Amino acid sequence: MSAEMEKAALQKPAIQTHRIFQRFTTGQRWEHLLLLISFSVLLLTGLPQKYRTSTWSQQILSTPERVDLIQTIHHVAAVVLIIEVIYHLGLAIYLMAKRKLPGDIFITWQDIKDAGMMVAYLLFLKKEKPVFGKYTFEEKLTYWFLFFGVGIMVVSGVILWFPELITRVLPGGVIPAAKLAHSTEAIVAGIFIVLWHFYHVHLQRLNLSIFSGTISEDDLKTYHTLEYEQLTGEKIMTSENKQS
Amino acid sequence: MIRLVPVMVLVGILLMIGLLFSAAPGVAAPVAQQPPSEQNESLRDEYCLSCHANPGQTYTLPDGSELDLYVDPQEHANSIHGSQGYACVQCHTDVGEYPHPPLQAVDRRDLTLQLNGSCKFCHANEHSKAMDSVHAKALEAGNRDAAVCTDCHTAHAVQDWVDETTGETLPEARTQIPQTCAKCHSEIHDKYAESVHGSALTEENNPDVPTCIDCHGVHNIEDPTTNQFRLSSPEMCANCHTDPARMAKYGISTDVLDTYVADFHGTTVQIFEKQSPDAETNKPVCYDCHGIHDIAASDDPEKGLKVKENLLVTCQKCHPDARDNFPTSWLSHYIPSPDKYPLVYYVNLFYLLLIPVVLGGMFVLVAMDFTRSAINRNQERKLAKKLKQQAAEEESLSEPTRADENTRSENSSLDEREEPAIQQPGEEEGND
Repeated sequence: MSAEMEKAALQKPAIQTHRIFQRFTTGQRWEHLLLLISFSVLLLTGLPQKYRTSTWSQQILSTPERVDLIQTIHHVAAVVLIIEVIYHLGLAIYLMAKRKLPGDIFITWQDIKDAGMMVAYLLFLKKEKPVFGKYTFEEKLTYWFLFFGVGIMVVSGVILWFPELITRVLPGGVIPAAKLAHSTEAIVAGIFIVLWHFYHVHLQRLNLSIFSGTISEDDLKTYHTLEYEQLTGEKIMTSENKQS
Repeated sequence: MIRLVPVMVLVGILLMIGLLFSAAPGVAAPVAQQPPSEQNESLRDEYCLSCHANPGQTYTLPDGSELDLYVDPQEHANSIHGSQGYACVQCHTDVGEYPHPPLQAVDRRDLTLQLNGSCKFCHANEHSKAMDSVHAKALEAGNRDAAVCTDCHTAHAVQDWVDETTGETLPEARTQIPQTCAKCHSEIHDKYAESVHGSALTEENNPDVPTCIDCHGVHNIEDPTTNQFRLSSPEMCANCHTDPARMAKYGISTDVLDTYVADFHGTTVQIFEKQSPDAETNKPVCYDCHGIHDIAASDDPEKGLKVKENLLVTCQKCHPDARDNFPTSWLSHYIPSPDKYPLVYYVNLFYLLLIPVVLGGMFVLVAMDFTRSAINRNQERKLAKKLKQQAAEEESLSEPTRADENTRSENSSLDEREEPAIQQPGEEEGND
């Protein structure tokens, strides 16, 4: 019996090495945290202002003092978000100037093809999922959808904050248009986060890379195959590799 | 023919009995209506007027002022009280027999205030409402000039102002109402008379415009300077301005309340009206922009808010930094369309398309992904079970071939998950 076990142990190593890879920098993790907090506070204080005809909202906004308080909290959170946006864009411009900006997040023709292949896979027209690099097309969509969403929110929010100043330059009609865009885009972004982002990072699989900053070797191999190959020089056999 | 005679006699008797009974209350009524005249000579109007119809008699009150004791018999006879046969003593209850007991009042106003209590004997409802009014409160606070019943209705020339059947103010009374209020509130009346409402009333006796009482109430006239009055005032204006029948005649939009509530100012005002009606807010209500008593037509060249310059001046009352473009940031009660506020209209259209197409598309993708993952997991589980069973069968068949099994499981990526991964945290750190 013991001889057999020794034999098996020799055939299979008892210690499995488990490598982890860096996925996000400390700065990026902080940025995500700031975005998460400011976005949540903005949504929580914005929703009662949007749905002010409903009873629950009217109970929150019941007195002028409360309306002022909620607007102040909203404005503080907005300033935090704007600072984060300025830092994010400033860093991107700085890195671009030093030609050090990693281009992984930009949408390429390959992403359109990946999306097409993914749909084909989901419709059972293909057996295997497409393989991805550092960011899947889904993650890129998350980034850019929120990039423009936050852009709309910041621009329309500033317009609503300083209507007297804005209308010295722009026509008055931008104020009600900004109001409509601000309140509708907020809902779009909120639904997007819950539907798309939460599904991919919580339901599909629990992905805490943005908080830990790291990704396990297995996950990197499975979900970011091309990046794994790039980082390690190993080739992973997939059905596509086999075909080509 | 002969048989008919007793029948007719019977019918005749029955008819006469019927007549007697039906006539009885009719005969009794006038007697009941004027009991004092039947009972006591001194309670009849004629008795009072035998002195008081003579001009020139006065009574000196304690403060030295002269009280004119003359009553115009015709004036009283033409009033609603006189024409319905109400007697002097029904209001003047404490005059007693002649010679009268001395008056308790110190001056003329005091006498009016004392006599005012008589109205409640018949008009208890109106009197108690008036006791809740801003006038009664002012009186209580020491303003003896605050209006009491007779200041508006007069003492001896009281007119009928209400249609008994409908409860509506009579058309001829409507023009008299502002004049009545003007006895004290003359400055406000002058503003009102020039307003779009007041001028229509005085010039054409327009039945649709409000008189004073349509906004301020009749007997329980509220203090219009309170926060509560301010916050509820949009509903007051909306009473008429959302009535399609009334507004159609003048081509005025009935969306004014809805558009007000949907836009910046009205939203907040409406919440406070419901949640904290006493709250003080700087958000404007209808009359902050349109004027309180001097409300002008929107196309009035001097004050109308359709004139951009006028609107800017109005905005600057609260937004002192506002400049030329600012007034159009308010939707002016319009519902955005390609012609009016196209930018707002197209932003709305953009989201009407974006939400179903993009978010809908994402929802479909997520649902498909969820389905495919569930199917995959199910198949993997089945496959793993099958493999395990096969392995167990093979094991029982040939005990010593463990190595074969190991090689097979290495090839099968599916089986990899079944094996417990050996966690070596120390190793991980070392690798990092």
